[in-house]
Amino acid sequence: MAAMSRVLRAAAAWAARRAGSAGTTRTTGITGIGPRLPGTLVPVRHSGDHGKRMFIIKATSFYDSRFLRLLRFYVFLTGIPVAVLLTYINVFIGEAELAEIPEGYVPEHWEYYKHPITRWIARYVLDPPEKNYEKDMALLDLEARKSELRILELEARRLMRHRGDGPWYHYETPDKNLVDNSMKSTPDN
Amino acid sequence: MPEDHDLKAYKVPPTRTPVAERTTSVPNPVDFFQTAFNYVFDAPVTFVRELIERLQNKNNFYYYHQKFRRVPDLSECLEGDYLCYYEAEAQWRRDRMVDQEIVEIVRERMAACKQREGPNQFQNCAKEMELLAQVTKAYQDRYGDLGYHGNARTCLMKQKHRMMEERKAAQEKQE
Repeated sequence: MAAMSRVLRAAAAWAARRAGSAGTTRTTGITGIGPRLPGTLVPVRHSGDHGKRMFIIKATSFYDSRFLRLLRFYVFLTGIPVAVLLTYINVFIGEAELAEIPEGYVPEHWEYYKHPITRWIARYVLDPPEKNYEKDMALLDLEARKSELRILELEARRLMRHRGDGPWYHYETPDKNLVDNSMKSTPDN
Repeated sequence: MPEDHDLKAYKVPPTRTPVAERTTSVPNPVDFFQTAFNYVFDAPVTFVRELIERLQNKNNFYYYHQKFRRVPDLSECLEGDYLCYYEAEAQWRRDRMVDQEIVEIVRERMAACKQREGPNQFQNCAKEMELLAQVTKAYQDRYGDLGYHGNARTCLMKQKHRMMEERKAAQEKQE
């Protein structure tokens, strides 16, 4: 638009110059090849696909597109292997079927889960729940014995302090022969 | 994947729509939609499913429902026997989960009956309604107001109070 108006302005200035200099009417419109004067209106021929190439000025999208490129890269770096693995497991291995426990058979602790990944985790990563149960019971047993012994010790201590006939609570007192009774021996001191 | 509805559990009574006689020569548009649905959705999905099932038929491994042995209850434990307390507590929690699932199943049956019967639900679902009322009352009596920190001991105390109330009510009725 600016270029067009500039061309028109230049054309008007040239026409005014030519009219001013020559003073005669001339045919407008320029045909034929040949050197042109500057400021003339020329029909411009551009390639038919997009027209004239323009330098479009806009804000940079380099940082945004770099961010999205890196995001896609790092997400797909582990996302695609995980997706492939999950598809393989769900399509080719599949889930377990529910069945009655056969006679005389004790299932392993991972055989109580359906999905193959859960079974794998229960088998190789986690502890069996029976082990957890037994650990809790062992801890409870230890603490129960400790608390029982502590109560007995407190009771024994109380009784020995009270009755004084046990091995505890013996305090060294000074010998009675060392006591000097001369202060109290005569009544008029 | 969530479980599919077990269609064999809720016995739907046979439909009683009467056989309609054709009075027009215009073909039924529902047939067209049905075949379209069949070709667009049903056939590809069934094909893929059968393909996957064929692939998965080779390795068959099973999973079971765990059966727990019954251990002595909290009322049969000696005082100070913390191991017995622990096992009784674990058993009580499992029993409470089982009871919750039972209530859930009875509720689902009631909802299925309501959905099935529609406007005649109040007449035809009387059995399910009564069963639901009984089951929820029993659950409320046993596990009702124990709260978040309810355990086997508080439940036993609640049972003790219930029995005391019953005994007092029986004595008052005698007099």
